[in-house]
Formats: sequence, C-alpha cells, structure tokens
Amino acid sequence: MGRHVLAIGLRAAASLLAVSALAFLVIAFMPSDPVMIAIRAWNLPADPETIAGLRAQWGLDGPLPARYLRWLAGFVSGDWGRTFRTGEPVLAEFAARLPLSLSIGLGGLAFACVAAVPIGFAAALRPEGAADRASRLLAVTVQAVPAFWLGLVLVWVLGVKLRVIQPFSGGPTIVLLAAGLVALHSAGMFARVYRRDLIEQTGQPHFRTALAKGLDRRRALWRHGHRGAIYAMLSAVRSEAGWAIGTTAALEVLFGLPGISQFLVQSISARDFFVLQAYVMVVAVWMLAVNGAIELAVRRLDPRWRESQS
Amino acid sequence: MRRGAVLAVALAALALAGAVWQPHDPDAVDMLARHAAPSLSHPLGTDHLGRDLASRMLVAAWRTGLVVVIVGAIGLAGGSALGTIAAILGGWRERLILRGAELFIVVPTLVWALTAAALFGLSPLTAGVALGLAGVGPYALFSNALTHRVLGQPFVLAATALGAARLRLMLRHVLPNTLPLIFAYVGSQAGQSVIAYASLAFIGLGADPSKPDWGSMLYEYRMFVFDRPMLTIWPGLAIAAVTWTLNRIFDPPTAAASGGAGLNRGRRRPS
Repeated sequence: MGRHVLAIGLRAAASLLAVSALAFLVIAFMPSDPVMIAIRAWNLPADPETIAGLRAQWGLDGPLPARYLRWLAGFVSGDWGRTFRTGEPVLAEFAARLPLSLSIGLGGLAFACVAAVPIGFAAALRPEGAADRASRLLAVTVQAVPAFWLGLVLVWVLGVKLRVIQPFSGGPTIVLLAAGLVALHSAGMFARVYRRDLIEQTGQPHFRTALAKGLDRRRALWRHGHRGAIYAMLSAVRSEAGWAIGTTAALEVLFGLPGISQFLVQSISARDFFVLQAYVMVVAVWMLAVNGAIELAVRRLDPRWRESQS
Repeated sequence: MRRGAVLAVALAALALAGAVWQPHDPDAVDMLARHAAPSLSHPLGTDHLGRDLASRMLVAAWRTGLVVVIVGAIGLAGGSALGTIAAILGGWRERLILRGAELFIVVPTLVWALTAAALFGLSPLTAGVALGLAGVGPYALFSNALTHRVLGQPFVLAATALGAARLRLMLRHVLPNTLPLIFAYVGSQAGQSVIAYASLAFIGLGADPSKPDWGSMLYEYRMFVFDRPMLTIWPGLAIAAVTWTLNRIFDPPTAAASGGAGLNRGRRRPS
C-alpha cells in the first residue's frame, strides 16, 4: 500500500511541476506589464527607480528560467506573492476562500455519489422501466442545461415565486443550493455509469449462477453487481471532477459566493498575475488529489486489483 | 435522429443568418422602449436598455457557432495529428507526447480557457482556440490508441511488408480508418464546448461587454430575474437547445440506451 501512495504522490508531483511550468510560461506572455499595473493600482510614482525596485523584488529582471525557479521556490515555501488589489498575501486570500469552494465542489460530488446508487440501481432493476427512463431524462437534461442557468431559474422559482430562499444572500442555504446543482449534473452522469455496469454484469456467468441459485434479480444485482458498479462509478468521478470545478466557478459568480473563482474574477480586472498562477496551481492540486484518492480507493477496495498486485 | 437533424439544420441556419442579418442593431439603445413586450417588430421583446433581444440572440448564436467550429477543428486536427505522430515515432518520444497530453487533463479545460480569457480577452476566437487546445489531450490519447489498433491489422502489416513508407502508410491506410471515429468523439464533446463557452461568458473574464453572448446575457440579465424572467429564459433555452441537438446528433439515444457504443466508454468531457 505504501508503495502505491508513494508512486501516486510522485506522479502527482511531476504533473504539478509540469503544469506549473506551463502556466508560468503562458502567463509570462501576458500582453500587459504587471509592474505598470501595480504602480497604477497602488498609486506609486512611476519613476525608473520604483519600477526597477519592483522588478527586482518580484524577480522580473532575470531570464525566464531563473524567474520560474524563483517563483517555484517561493510557491513551495508558502510565499505566493501579494495581490495587487488588496496587498494581502495571495496564500492567505486563497486559504480563506478555499473551504467554501471545496464544500461546493467536493460536497456536490459526494452528494452525487450517494444519490446515484439508488437511482442507478432502480434503473438497472427494470431496464426501460419508469426509473430507467427518468434517469436517462435526467442525464440528457443535465448535459444540455448549464448549471448556472438552472441556478438562475431556481432563484426565480424558490426566491420569487415561493419565497423560500433569499437569493444572493450568501447564506448556508445558498451554499447548499450550489452544492446541490453540482450534484445534480454529476448524479445524472454517475447513475448512468452505475446502471450500465450493473446491466453489463447481468450477462456474466457469475450473475446467472446467482439467479440459478434462486436469488431474485434485485438481490442478485445488489449482492453480485453492486460492488463492481461502484468501481466503475468511482472512475467516472475522476472525469467529472474537472467539470465540477467549472460548475463551481460559474455558481460562485452567479450567487456571489466568496470562493476562489469569484476571487479570481475580482482580481483579474487588476491583471493580478500572482492570483492567476496560484489559481491554476490550486485547481491542479485539487484535481490531482481527487485522482489520487480515487485511484487509491479503487486499488484498496477492488479485489481484482489486489490479486493482480500480489 | 431525424428530429435532431431537422433541429440542427434550423439552428445552424439561424446562426448563419445571425452573422449577416439582425432585425435591429443589437447594440442600439432605445430608452423609450425598455422592457417592451414581444411584438411584431421585437419578436422577443427588448431588454433593460431597449435593445432588441432577438437581434442579440442571433449575434450570440453566430458567436457560439464559431466557437463550436473552432474547438472542433482544433480538436480533430490536433488530436489526430498528435496521436498518429506519437504512434509513428514510438519509444520515448511517444511516451513524452502522451504524457504531455495527459497533462492537459490535470487542469480542467475551462480553467485553461479562463486563464487565456484573463490574459488575452474573451472573444469567440480566443475562447475557441483555448478550449480547443486544452481539449486536445484526450483526443490525442484516443487517436493514439486507435492508431495502434489499426497498425496491428493484417492489411497494414501487408502494406508494411510491401515496403510502404511510414508517411504514406499513415495517410493511405491508418488515418482513413481512425478519422471517422475521432470525428465522432470530437463531435460528442461539441455540446460541452457550447456550455463551456456560455460559462466563460457568464463568468465574464476579459469579455467585451458590448458583444452579446448567451452567457454574458444571462449574467447581465440575472438582476432582472425577479421582474423579467423571460430575459433569462431565452438565452438559457438557446444554450440548452443547441447542446441537446449536438449531443443527440453525435450520441444517438439508441446507443445511450444500450450503455453507449464501445467508443463512448470512459469518455471524458472537457470542463
């Protein structure tokens, strides 16, 4: 087990390094000069001395590779630079906002996993039955309708027609609503993956044996199909995680929730490149952590993996 | 399928029409006609500045269409080229290309596009290029796997034995077999690029506020959801209709019902 953790960690670190270099390169080609922006933002005198001072302070005077290494060293040691807008350390700003974004994104994914099992199971129990049709409709709908628009419609229905929520208040209900919207999309996808794997297993010999033993379809599916379908669903979580981050970003903007994406949007009008770089890194870490956790979970739980390892 | 095709043609015609003609100037402010109800001259009514909603929807349709075409073209060309070249090169160079492709999956497509929009501004061109480039990774992996499968086929082995050059082999025997499948895969993601572009415009990083997009219209009109819900209903319906149509064309419901064709297993969506 320890070996796997180490291998996944090393691979994640290598990916992170490559992503950071790529993001650094892209951002270094930014059309506008961050020093001039900062001088305007902080009302500093635009004399050559200040400009040279800021350049030296941010390490903008060296060649690109040296700048990258310098930034990397700072990033690893927790010095993520200061924002132009507020002058606060970027790390502190992100640390204050990350819990909210994580609870919407990861909370939504977790909700979705829990909700997808009963939906997918009911759909697999009777293919082409009511539950199957409903779950297909859900999957088709959430793929076509952007979550932020659904959120807007919900604001109108719940906030205007029924008056049960206070939209744009940023309260816990709104956070819950946002997580629910992330969950809705993912649940639609997960339920289909879970159902598909269950149905595929009904063609397998072990499933027919279970039926021959006298189990009914429901118990046979649950006892002999459920576990395998869970692994299939966990793999789907990996591709869904990126989608959840995008949805979270749009929902933060819609509801005015102070998460990391809203912070990015506010900072970008000031061309705050430290924030942009940190944002890409935080998202990459988020994705790699989800990927690593799922890979570990599947390796740990799935007997097929354990056998092939020993 | 037929219904989907009819709808697709109608939507494409609307988008093309939106490129050259709108009933009114989409940016013409008319404070006397604010929030006008739908009428013959304003089929969908007007917004809070008296701008004709139908005209703005048409321009936005054209801009969205551009994004879909650019993303698809880059995905198809870049993905098949990278995947095939990697398969020809083989060895460490192939591993390097594939690792690079995997890298783009680590950071979601939408976040790469957000970065590009923040740096270079948001237009159909920048968004299309950013979403397209960021989405190339999965296509390259997919086309690489397909190419290897085709390379193992008897007719390819025969061509190799006859001494066909590698480039010729790829152009004559491999690409004709892999391209249709890659095209179907890229197409199945086209609907997602509509939603991604709408999300980008909604988030609004670097967007030009004078240019209408369905996403930016939703952002602009969200404050009027209390009194004028129709302003937000129309752009949302347009996004949903286009996405649904694209998904349906490239991923027919029969395949979805049987759990998707082998092609769609483990599909990744850009985000």
